[in-house]
This record gives sequence, C-alpha cells and structure tokens, in this order.
Amino acid sequence: MPNKFSISSTIQCDVLIVGAGGAGLRCAAEILEKRPGTNIVAVTKVAHPQKSHTQTAQGGMAAVDPQDPVDKPIYHMFDTWKGSDCSADQNIIRKIVESGWEQTVWMENHGMHLSRDENGRVSKRTFGGHTLNFGETSAFRCVFEADRTGKGIMDNVWGEALKGGTSFINQAIATELVFKGDNCVGAIIFRQKDGEFVAVLAKATVLATGGNGQVFKVTTNCRQNTGDGLAITIQAGLPVMDPEAIQFHPTGIVGPGILASETLRSVGGILRNKDLEPFMERYAPKMKELAPRDLVARAIETEIREGRGILNPDHDIEHVWIDLRHLSDYIHDVQIPEVSSFFRRFVNLDPKKDLCPVRPSNHYQMGGIPTNEFGEVQKSNDELIHGLFAVGECAAASFHGFNRLGTNSILELITMGKVAGEKGVASLGNERPELPKNAGDMTFSLFSKFMEQKGRDNPGQIREEMRMLMTEKVGVFRTEDGIGLAIEVLEELKERAGEATLSSKSLSMNQELIQRWELHNLLSVSTFIAHGALNRRESRGGHFREDFPERKDQFNYHTLAFMTEPGQVELGQRPIDMSIYEERQEHYEKFGMIERKY
Amino acid sequence: MDSNYKLTLKIKRYNPDTKESWVQDYVLEVGRILRFTDLFRKINNELDASLAWNSSCEHAQCGTCAVKVNGKPLLACELLVENAVNQFHTTIFHIEPITIAPVVRDLIVDLEKAYERVNEAKPYIIEPAKNPSQGNDYQIFPRNLERYVDATRCINCFCCATVCISSHKGFLGPNAVMASIVRLMDPRETARKERLDTLYSEKGIYRCHTSKACSFVCPKEIDVAHFIALAKEGRFKSKDSR
Repeated sequence: MPNKFSISSTIQCDVLIVGAGGAGLRCAAEILEKRPGTNIVAVTKVAHPQKSHTQTAQGGMAAVDPQDPVDKPIYHMFDTWKGSDCSADQNIIRKIVESGWEQTVWMENHGMHLSRDENGRVSKRTFGGHTLNFGETSAFRCVFEADRTGKGIMDNVWGEALKGGTSFINQAIATELVFKGDNCVGAIIFRQKDGEFVAVLAKATVLATGGNGQVFKVTTNCRQNTGDGLAITIQAGLPVMDPEAIQFHPTGIVGPGILASETLRSVGGILRNKDLEPFMERYAPKMKELAPRDLVARAIETEIREGRGILNPDHDIEHVWIDLRHLSDYIHDVQIPEVSSFFRRFVNLDPKKDLCPVRPSNHYQMGGIPTNEFGEVQKSNDELIHGLFAVGECAAASFHGFNRLGTNSILELITMGKVAGEKGVASLGNERPELPKNAGDMTFSLFSKFMEQKGRDNPGQIREEMRMLMTEKVGVFRTEDGIGLAIEVLEELKERAGEATLSSKSLSMNQELIQRWELHNLLSVSTFIAHGALNRRESRGGHFREDFPERKDQFNYHTLAFMTEPGQVELGQRPIDMSIYEERQEHYEKFGMIERKY
Repeated sequence: MDSNYKLTLKIKRYNPDTKESWVQDYVLEVGRILRFTDLFRKINNELDASLAWNSSCEHAQCGTCAVKVNGKPLLACELLVENAVNQFHTTIFHIEPITIAPVVRDLIVDLEKAYERVNEAKPYIIEPAKNPSQGNDYQIFPRNLERYVDATRCINCFCCATVCISSHKGFLGPNAVMASIVRLMDPRETARKERLDTLYSEKGIYRCHTSKACSFVCPKEIDVAHFIALAKEGRFKSKDSR
C-alpha cells in the first residue's frame, strides 16, 4: 500500500516532554532551574498547557509541615500505605512524603497563590484518609488554593517553564516513541493545526500524558484523557503496570461528570433511589452516607443494577439522587456554595428545592507506565529504557497502589516531575541522536489505515459503546463472566473500528482523525484494564471482584501487562517494595500487610 | 420536566484546505439540560463528524470551549439548552468562533496566537522579592491576598478580549493586563518598573475605553474592569501601594 505520509522536519532538543500538564511542566521548570538554557520542547495535545487536566484539581495537596507540632511524615506514609490497600511501593511513599513540604515551599516561592491562615502562613485543612497517629484523628495536612489548587499549580509551572524559555508545540500528539536500540531518542509528533508529522529527537524524553478516564462513560477527566501515553508505550512493546487499578468516585454529577464532593454527604446530604428510599441505611447502618468511597460507590451501583436507579433521557445513564433539600440555607450558602452551584450551572437544578442526580464517576488511574524512583521507565523488573521517563498520572512508581488518597495526586505529580527533571539533567550527554531509518513507519501505517478505511461505522458511536461496556462490565463491580464478555466485545469493537470511515481526509485540524486515533488508544488501554482485572481474582482498593470480594496474599504484587502481538496480552509481576517494613525501624509493624478498615 | 427543544444551530464554518467559509444549519431535537458542548458532540456522532470544535475540561475551568453564541462570547460547556432559550429568547443560535485569533477550522481558533499577548504580560514572578524567612513560605496576610485573589481566578478563555472594544487595536487585552496587575499586587514580585512600563506603554491600559464589557461577559464573574481601573488611577505607582 503506497504511503503518502512523511516526516516534514526534524527538531533537535535536549529534552522532549510529551504532555504539558502539572507533572510535565514541573519537570521542565526543574531542568531549567538546574541547567538554565536547556533546550526543552514541550508538546501538549490541548490548545495550550493551561487547558490541561491538572487545571481541574480542586481539593489540594498533602504535605507535612516540619513545623507542625503534631503531624509527622511517618503518619502520612502510613495513611498512603493503608489507603493503597498495601500495594503502593514503600520506597516511593517515603521519597514523595518526605519531599512534600519542600515542594509546597517551592510552589509558593515561585508565585502560587496558596490560601493563607490569619498569620499569613500557608493554610491547611483536613481531607479523607489523612490522619494523625496512625488513624487516630484527622490531620490538617492539605495545602490548597481555595477550590482550584490544580489551576494554581498549572499557572505556576506553566509560568516557570515559559520564563525559562521552553518551546511549546500546542495541539499536537505523540504517535510513536523513537528508539535506537534500547535507548529512547525522541518521538514522532503530529501537529494538528498544520497536519504535519515532525520528528523530535531528544537526549531525554519524558512522558507526562495524563490518565485514561475517557474509557468510561461518566468521568471527571478531561475530554482528551484517552490513555494516549499508555497506548504508545504498549505499542512500543513496553509494559503497563496495574492497569486494573482504577478509582471511581461515588458521586459524580451526571452529565458533566464533575465531582460532587464528600462535603455534600458530610453536611447531611442523603442518597436516595427512585422510590426516594434513603438506601445507605441498608448498606452501612452506622456510617450511612459517610462510609468509605468504594463502599458508597458499590451501594449506588447496586441500587442502579437492581432497578432502583433513575434515567434522564438527556444523559442516558442511570443515576440516584442526592437530597440536600432539608439542609438549612446557611449550609447551602456558606458550607457548600461551590458544589451547590455546580448543580445549578450544569444540570439546572436548585439543590435547595430539587433532588440532584449523582452516580459513580471514573476519577483516576492508579496504575500506568512502570518507573523506578527517579521516574525512569522500566522495560522489565531489572531493565530500564535509557532516555525515557514517565511522570504524573500516566506513570506508576507506585505511590498510590490500588487506591489513591485525595490530595496525594498533585503531590505525586509535582514531586515525580521534579525528581525526573533532576535525573534527566544529570543524564544529558553531548551526543545528538540521529533519526533512525524506520522512525515513523508505525505511525504512517496506522494513519494510512485510518484514512483508507471504507466501512459504514461511526468511530464516535463505537467509542460510546466501548465506554458503556467498560462502565458496566469493568467498572465499580467486576466478575469473571462480565470481564470475559468485555474482552470479547472489545475485540469486536476493534474490528468494527477497523471498518469505520472518516468523512474528511484532510490532515489539518481534522478532529475526526484524532478521535479515530484516540479510539485506537482507548480500545488498546481498555483491553489491558480488562485483562488485568480478569487475572486478579481478588479485591483490592479500586478493583472490586464481586466473585472474589476479599484481598488475597497471593496477589501481593503489581501486575505488569505487555502486548506480545496485536490483541494478545501477556501478564507478569513486579514485587511490591516493602522497604519501610523490612528496615524494622520504629513503627515498622504498621507497614505490613495490614487490613484496610476505617 | 424532560420536555425536548427543537433547536437550529447556525454554525460558522471554515475549511483551511479550501479557504472557504460558510454558515451551516443543524437542526436538533434535544433535552433541556444538555450543554452546548453536548450538542456539538451530538452533531459529530449523529449528523456531521467533520464539524470541528474545541474543549477540554468541560467544567468551566479551562476556557477552551469559548465561542460566540448570538454575538455573546461564553463557555459552551456551561450553556444549557433551557437556559440558552430563556436567555436569548429564541431557539435559533448563531455560533461563531471567538474573534481574538485566526480561525484554524470551524469553531477552533489558534489560541497560541491569542496567548502571545498574555506571554508579553509575563504571567509569572519576574524578579522574586527576598523572602524574610528563607526556606519557608512568604508571609501574606489574607486581607492582602483578598485584594487580588479574584484576578488569579482568570482561566484565559479570552471572552473578555473578544468583547473588548479596544482589544483589536493594539491593546494587550483585559486578561493579559490583569495577569500583570496580579503580580503588581503580589508582594513577592519586585520587577515593578518593568511591569508598569508595559502597562503604561502603547499597548497598555490607556487603550481601554472603560466599556466594562470584560466584567460583563467574564464566565468566572471576575470584575476585570475593576483591576484595570486600579492601574488607570495610578494605584501601583508608589512603592508601598501594594
């Protein structure tokens, strides 16, 4: 088949960063601070770095202030370990937790507008799962910028990267990693605006492409979070770690998927089914609405599954109600004004008078591209890919294991961005990589196929079917049969996708073409999630197997999934690092395989 | 409650390959609480996959989906069908790209070009002040932060710049000057002269005609004109003015 595509130009740089969100640009800022004048190219899929998913983080960032009279890093480490359902890596937990305050001060000193207390110091608040003295009482450990912490971080790291002279390629995607032997030497970039493929050659390449939330029907993730970084890693024959570890937030607002935070339940909001029954009483008689996230999510899904959900034809997915009508005006106006306003703004309901629609919403991918503690990408348990780093949500070091605590994600992306930046700078040699002859071949064959397909199916339709399938079969509840069926249907969808036609064959700003590519990525990532979930016959953190509801010691490992040939997934293991436990220092016993009970 | 609306979207289209521009009508039967980004998606999935539009978070927190609806720049992700019908008293909507940068295709503009003005305003601390408590956070009292924190909520959606009666004539634009004003009010910044030179330059705030259209359209409800007014009245000239 003749190939009409070619690489229009080659760009040489020191560091290529794919994904210009919080992690990627924190990495850029670190490199520019350590080695001013470093030639960095940062590529973002969105129109501008400020449009990245980091921008939407609300809550805050966990960090233990060394001047805090009661909080200690060891408590934060314990909370993270316990929260992860004993499947995060303890070397990573220690490293990230210990650098928390340093990272906060760095952000503040570089201009982040963190909220202040009455003494003018950075203010702190509590957050679910963060405790003092190993679970005794809530810790004030979360620094924040009002309800827009992620935006504060994004503005800050973008500003620093810009100030240091980073070159940005906006509205562009990385379609292929370029290797020379076992060394990564850059990537093929497709610039959407002019429709050109360029090769960016770099001494170090950093993947910071974010999550894969669009795999599911209702998600808090941005539209562009389609698992692209994972997909090009899979395509390169590299492993993905713990793809089955997905977090669902119990109460996403149906429609936009935006979070209706825990606060609504903690101030007295009541979950009701279509008969208006306050159903949490049946699932958690004592804790009711305040039971842990995963339990509430499963209760809501059960109600829906047993026919007690509500369907609004506009959104076409069943939900339950959160009832806030009985709360006082004071609570509505002073304690929950933002979340309350989301319902008004996005579904036109007045929470003082109306029942509001919520359902479990995909929130976070805990797994990702496996790295060591410096963000260097692993080829296997004891081999690295030289010159390739991965940070942020697309990567797994792993700080979150199988369940992430609120406010730990921003801490992780900032710290790992910084750490990878430091390591990247140290590894920069003088040798300029050359463009390997076969660079781009994989991309061109894929894109040629997209362009030449002549069937009648619509990629948008297939994507919607996939999202529904993953939500129903590989979502909050998972079973052997359900996942097995999902794997079969995913293969059918791949076949159908292979017959979907693009109505426009233009290369410049052809969003249909991008969506076709995204569909390819989503299907590939979904297959990995399903295989990981099928193999893990236990329940752990965000991965809940209805047929195996308990955690099992035989699964005390990370899943490593590889694609050996198209559609074939091979599974391996990576041991969980338990260095805090093994070092037998004070409190080590808290870091064994403990129960995750709250 | 779930009554449907029959809408006509008259969408301005542009094809960069042929340089053609035209208005295309899409007639949709839609529910009351769908958002305009949902309508664009519906058009893509059911009527016309080629219609190009942009969005990212769809939570009104990134500003990517700004478009003009019946002349008013707004975020398509937070415009609900029912509200649009009530607000504009019609079921016919003319939808165009915002007019702050060249159109790439259909509703997508080259935001990179629009951002050049923000970059000129240097949206970061140029020269940090000496921190009295080295290794710690700067001490900033809430009452000081409150003076400018509202301006830090800007998401650069460029709705204000689109509607500004001066912003196409060499003015940096409301959001860009506000980014600089934030740092003039921020005690951690010392490069005040450089900032004031830009603010009072040819491209600076005296281009502003005080129409206050910026404040009127801001999706984040920031009183942009207030911050520009502070600069105009010379609030930032003296050293102790922050």
